[in-house]
Amino acid sequence: MLWSSDFPQIADTTLRQLSRTIDRGYLTFSREYGASIEAFFDPLLHFLIWFERILLGAPWWSVVLVTAAIGYLAARSWKLFAGIVIALCLIGVFGMWENTMRTMAMILVCTLMSILIGIPIGIFMARSNRGQRAILPVLDVMQTMPSFVYLIPVVMLLGIGRVPGLIAVVIYAIAPVIRLTNLGIRLVEKEALEAADAFGASRLQKLIKVQLPLALPNIMAGINQTIMMALAMVVIASMIGVRGLGQPVLQAVTNQYFALGLFNGTAVVILAIIFDRVTQGFGLRLQKHREGAPQ
Amino acid sequence: MTLIKKSSLAAMALAISAIGTGVAQAACGNVTIAEMNWASAQAAARVDAFILKHGYGCDAQTVPGDTMPTATSMSEKASPDIAPELWMNNVTEPIERAVAQNRLVIVGNVLEDPGTNAGEGWWVPRYMVEKNPELTTIAGIKKNVGLFKDPEDPSKGRVVGCPSGWACQITTENLFKAYDMESAGFNLVDPGSGAALAGAIFKAYNRGEGVLAYYWAPTALLSKLDMVRVDLGTFDAKEFTDCTGIANCPNPKPNSFPVPEIKTVVATDFAQRSPEAMAYLKARVWQAKDFGAVLEFMEEEQANGEVAAEWFLQNRPDAWTQWVPADVATKVKAAL
Repeated sequence: MLWSSDFPQIADTTLRQLSRTIDRGYLTFSREYGASIEAFFDPLLHFLIWFERILLGAPWWSVVLVTAAIGYLAARSWKLFAGIVIALCLIGVFGMWENTMRTMAMILVCTLMSILIGIPIGIFMARSNRGQRAILPVLDVMQTMPSFVYLIPVVMLLGIGRVPGLIAVVIYAIAPVIRLTNLGIRLVEKEALEAADAFGASRLQKLIKVQLPLALPNIMAGINQTIMMALAMVVIASMIGVRGLGQPVLQAVTNQYFALGLFNGTAVVILAIIFDRVTQGFGLRLQKHREGAPQ
Repeated sequence: MTLIKKSSLAAMALAISAIGTGVAQAACGNVTIAEMNWASAQAAARVDAFILKHGYGCDAQTVPGDTMPTATSMSEKASPDIAPELWMNNVTEPIERAVAQNRLVIVGNVLEDPGTNAGEGWWVPRYMVEKNPELTTIAGIKKNVGLFKDPEDPSKGRVVGCPSGWACQITTENLFKAYDMESAGFNLVDPGSGAALAGAIFKAYNRGEGVLAYYWAPTALLSKLDMVRVDLGTFDAKEFTDCTGIANCPNPKPNSFPVPEIKTVVATDFAQRSPEAMAYLKARVWQAKDFGAVLEFMEEEQANGEVAAEWFLQNRPDAWTQWVPADVATKVKAAL
């Protein structure tokens, strides 16, 4: 046996029985709790549909102007304003407006959810070493487990559509913001915290007025990565029926249409850059307190 | 003659004839069999490989394949030797050209009566039809939009169509237009991938919900779930080639999915090399119930083609022993 190159593994029949028990267990779980889990996600689904309808129903020039205005307000840069207008108009000219609006709605909600859920978890991890030890492996799994492994059970539970797509994107994209929030807060200098203590700050005040502002560069990097990863998941989401830019890309892949894939892929890149510049601009303005600090 | 005893002469004659049959079997030689990446094709390929190897002494090997690449490779290069389950509808042209040039031979059906037992269509769960028998017709379905609610748009019904990039997406879209489903309040939803399509059907069936979806037989899903095919009328071949099968056809007329042609195709080289193997392939026509049983086994036990083939050969002898002469059957049984 020792010289055999075949690894001594569990008998095939036992493996199959194990697989079957797991599958049957999941089917029973899905049958019993599926309806209530679906109902739990209903408000989120309605919000997603409503938001998409708004973006699709509004006249195109208003969406372009509002997005460019948000960009200007966030970064105070006319260049960004002009860039957004040109980029969005190009997308419209090439016939990708509706898909882009769908993807924009979906990714905006996904990014929002990732940030809203991720930053508190990151703060918790920063405070607690045990929490960090427990959560880091979970983040590793979330980032590396192949998406379809958890997607198909989710589809069997919730059907195809926006909610499974949102779950898939959030699971994949939430890890950077958690990790970098944790890192940023842990990297805040001890002297700054001591000074805050000396001034009689409560824990909440320390968090909001000292730790978070000083951790901002890292947190913004985390948000940037989360946005990028959320947009990268667009095609995987389209494989479970989410409409948007992912579907033409998927069509291009299966039919070998290079140009179609290129155009829609570029639209995804443009969206990513717009989101990123807007959030980075906002983040830089939040860090005004760093101006004047030695670089 | 007197120097050689009669018995030794007889022994020599026997030996020579034995060598003769040995040579005839070894002429089968190397055989490559296309194993395509869906369950029924895998089982069919592995059963053929096992029988050819252990029953006919061929050096049979399976090679991975898929309808389009295998059809191209066989029509251009006559390799692999055997495609046990080739769905001809999308590759009729190249295959018929190769047959005309005597490079390929179409052996026959792999599944008995493919018109009834195989094919694409729109399916509804049987529990819906039991409550409401008119759901087997398009007219009945259009009247009952409310039974097929789209979870993302509850005011409308949903038809789960074909994923992007599948040839059937074109047919489904045209039929959706032709039967005017949109004005009846239906949405045609693209599930994105084959896995999501199966998942969506499975989820609805599991919860007892209403679902109208594209699917094809023979598949594990359809042998596991009890679904009924919707009657889309008789198939009009001319309309199909002119419009229903063409993308963005402006004015599709009501039509059905094409009757499937699923044939075993072999390279002429191999056919001439090994007439016994050819006789086996000609006789080997699967019954629908056996195919279904194998697919269910593969689904239940998460078995691959190889395991399923062995299960079939062991547990359904009355099915396959009819395809082979008795001595081959004994050899195959001994090898199990």
